[in-house]
Amino acid sequence: MSENEGTIGYIVGGNLQDGLRVRLTVPAADLQEGSFVVCDSDHWRFYGLVTDLELGATDPRFADEHLDRLHPALAQLLYGQTLFTTMEVYSTLMLDRGPEDPGERLRWQADIDSGRAERPAPRPVKTVPAHHAPVRLADAGDVAEIFGRDDPGSLVIGHTLEQGYPVRLDLARFVKRSAGIFGATGTGKSFLARIMLAGLIQAGSTDSRMASVLVFDMHNEYGFDDTDENENPVRGLRSLFGGRVQVAALGKGSQVRTKNPDFTLEIGMRDLLPRDILMLSEALSLTDKAADVLSALWRDFSDGWFIEFMSMQPGLVIETDDGKKIPAPNSPAGWARSAGIHESSAEALHRSLLRRLGDRDYLVRDPAMDAVEAVVDRLENGRHVVLSFGKYESDLDYLLVSNILTRRIRGRWVKKTEQYRSGAVEGAPRPLVIVVEEAHKLLNPSLSNQTAFGIIARELRKYMVTLLIIDQRPSGIDDEVMSQLGTRITGWLGDEDDIRAVLTGLSGRDKLRGMLARLREKEEVLLLGWGVRMPIPVKSRRYDQGFWDEMRAGRRGPDSGDVLNERINDELLPWA
Amino acid sequence: MSDSEIEIPVGRLLRANSTAFTLGCRISETDRVSFGSLVRASSRAGQLDVYGLVVDVTIADDLLVKQLAISPGMTEEQRQDQLERRQVPIEMSVLAIGYREGGLIHRRIPPRPPLSLDRISLCSAREIQAITEGLGYLRLILRQRIGEIPVEQLIVAHIASAYEARGQDDRWALRAAGELIAQLRDDYGTLLPLLEALGDALPQLQGAVNV
Repeated sequence: MSENEGTIGYIVGGNLQDGLRVRLTVPAADLQEGSFVVCDSDHWRFYGLVTDLELGATDPRFADEHLDRLHPALAQLLYGQTLFTTMEVYSTLMLDRGPEDPGERLRWQADIDSGRAERPAPRPVKTVPAHHAPVRLADAGDVAEIFGRDDPGSLVIGHTLEQGYPVRLDLARFVKRSAGIFGATGTGKSFLARIMLAGLIQAGSTDSRMASVLVFDMHNEYGFDDTDENENPVRGLRSLFGGRVQVAALGKGSQVRTKNPDFTLEIGMRDLLPRDILMLSEALSLTDKAADVLSALWRDFSDGWFIEFMSMQPGLVIETDDGKKIPAPNSPAGWARSAGIHESSAEALHRSLLRRLGDRDYLVRDPAMDAVEAVVDRLENGRHVVLSFGKYESDLDYLLVSNILTRRIRGRWVKKTEQYRSGAVEGAPRPLVIVVEEAHKLLNPSLSNQTAFGIIARELRKYMVTLLIIDQRPSGIDDEVMSQLGTRITGWLGDEDDIRAVLTGLSGRDKLRGMLARLREKEEVLLLGWGVRMPIPVKSRRYDQGFWDEMRAGRRGPDSGDVLNERINDELLPWA
Repeated sequence: MSDSEIEIPVGRLLRANSTAFTLGCRISETDRVSFGSLVRASSRAGQLDVYGLVVDVTIADDLLVKQLAISPGMTEEQRQDQLERRQVPIEMSVLAIGYREGGLIHRRIPPRPPLSLDRISLCSAREIQAITEGLGYLRLILRQRIGEIPVEQLIVAHIASAYEARGQDDRWALRAAGELIAQLRDDYGTLLPLLEALGDALPQLQGAVNV
């Protein structure tokens, strides 16, 4: 390829801070904001994103005046000379191309091929290309250089805006830190989440080091088949991957979309901690005094506090020897009196808990099995769990159950990781990704310090557990949590605060803000953060038959024997 | 110039400096030359050809012309006689745009001016093609101060005549226009009238030619 083939412009200025300015030699309409461009200058190859396109003129009068009084052929010549387009490029990475001299270059390449020298990798930009260095659109090789090639550990998440080259995510890197999928309602977040989850599950079928996935499925949409807004079928993960994905439902005998789950979960009342209740202060309309009551309950009854408190009978009185009526000892007021607590506070808390949690049949005194064990067993064995909330779709249930389970599961992973690190057991625990929707309800600034999710988000991958957050209101999530998110995949966001939140802690956020605001709904997403070498907007992949076929083909990999057996089961693969 | 081409003399050199020269000619020779024509001064025994554009033509008076102008009974015969036997020649100012030395054409100010009474000839079509192939000389023209003559008029006249000499070469005309735009892109006041005049001079120009 000749030096100038495919050239779209040349460098006319710029700096590291504000990016590069490129004079276009092709019509502005050939480029879009977010286009992935490449510039070769000396021995560096620079990679960048188009962040702005600006019409300019050498003299404003050329732009102000219609040129129809000129001969059309001559008027045409003014475009590009006196009337031109300047493109701003956010330069992000550079790659050493080797010496210019052919002889030196051959030696350089030989050293790399023989292992005597390190193969150059893209690195953050530290310099700028020369004046007039040609700029071109990235080709398939450039996209592959930055976003990876087709290998089992990668997932095509979308395609570049212009030429449609596949953009991949390195899944092993993706799960090393907590990640987020964002977008306003209706921008295809849940489809994107399904693609990511299917990719993780599929990769895990051939690589035992890949993460297991636990999905807190608030709206019962990930496990079984569903339909989209146009009544088209949408495959659930359970039907896509068969028994590798286990659907759990909350509460004995519960169903999910009229289907029987693989197992049901009950939460033991002894798993409930006072802080789980405090976390729900807003949903339960608790007063400040509730903390004192809960503290006293824990002091008096330890982990039996909820059982004991709920068994108390409000309003029960006894008569003293002198005929005076006082609260009975097994009433909230009676207990409060003995514990030195304000009686009406205890009664208010009791009323609230009874009213909001008293009828929850997933909350039992003696669960048939340990919910955490049930989930952990499956996750440890390379299966994935979708916990559907069935009829319990309220925020209260979601916050309570997901927090309790996450706290306990994290505890297990902490223990397993520490045992592994101390040499007590062989083999590191399998990485775990916990998927939470409506994350702003769990990770808002007032709760993020109290929930297990907040802890996981902050400790990065220390204990091999990370979060995948799915949310339409990222501005509701604690900034500290947002700044810890590695990969961020975001669809269109209309709210300025949400845009600011998604870009928290990222360099170049000023340049990316406009790009994010102008994404096409349902069609484009922006990939950001630590998990991708550079930010890039992509045409979103469709969660459709083509994708399902690809996932199905992946299942026929050489190391997926157990899955092969499942393939013959029509129930698991109803369309096969 | 090759031997097979017919030499069209237009006069002889009167005076010169590094950037321009003036030739003198008879009235009859003026018909061969137009404003913007490309001429050649053959100098120094054919070692140096200096090329230039005719930028001005001056018809000066003399004592006889002055007397005849006020003579009440001047006849047509006397007038013709005066035209053919003028005491002072018609003067044409030429702006040097390049030269040929050692068989190579250079589009810049010649190293030495032509000498008095050097023969000046009209350039042939082949010479015009060769000289105008490179467009660097347009920059020389734009930088010159040419008395009262508007430079854009000179350029338009030259391009129109070279366009014809090159067989109505649209590609070349557009390339020349592109070069002028590049040179004058910050000078709206000169460029736009120039392009307007050029469009008027070349109405048959075909657009959308990839230059």
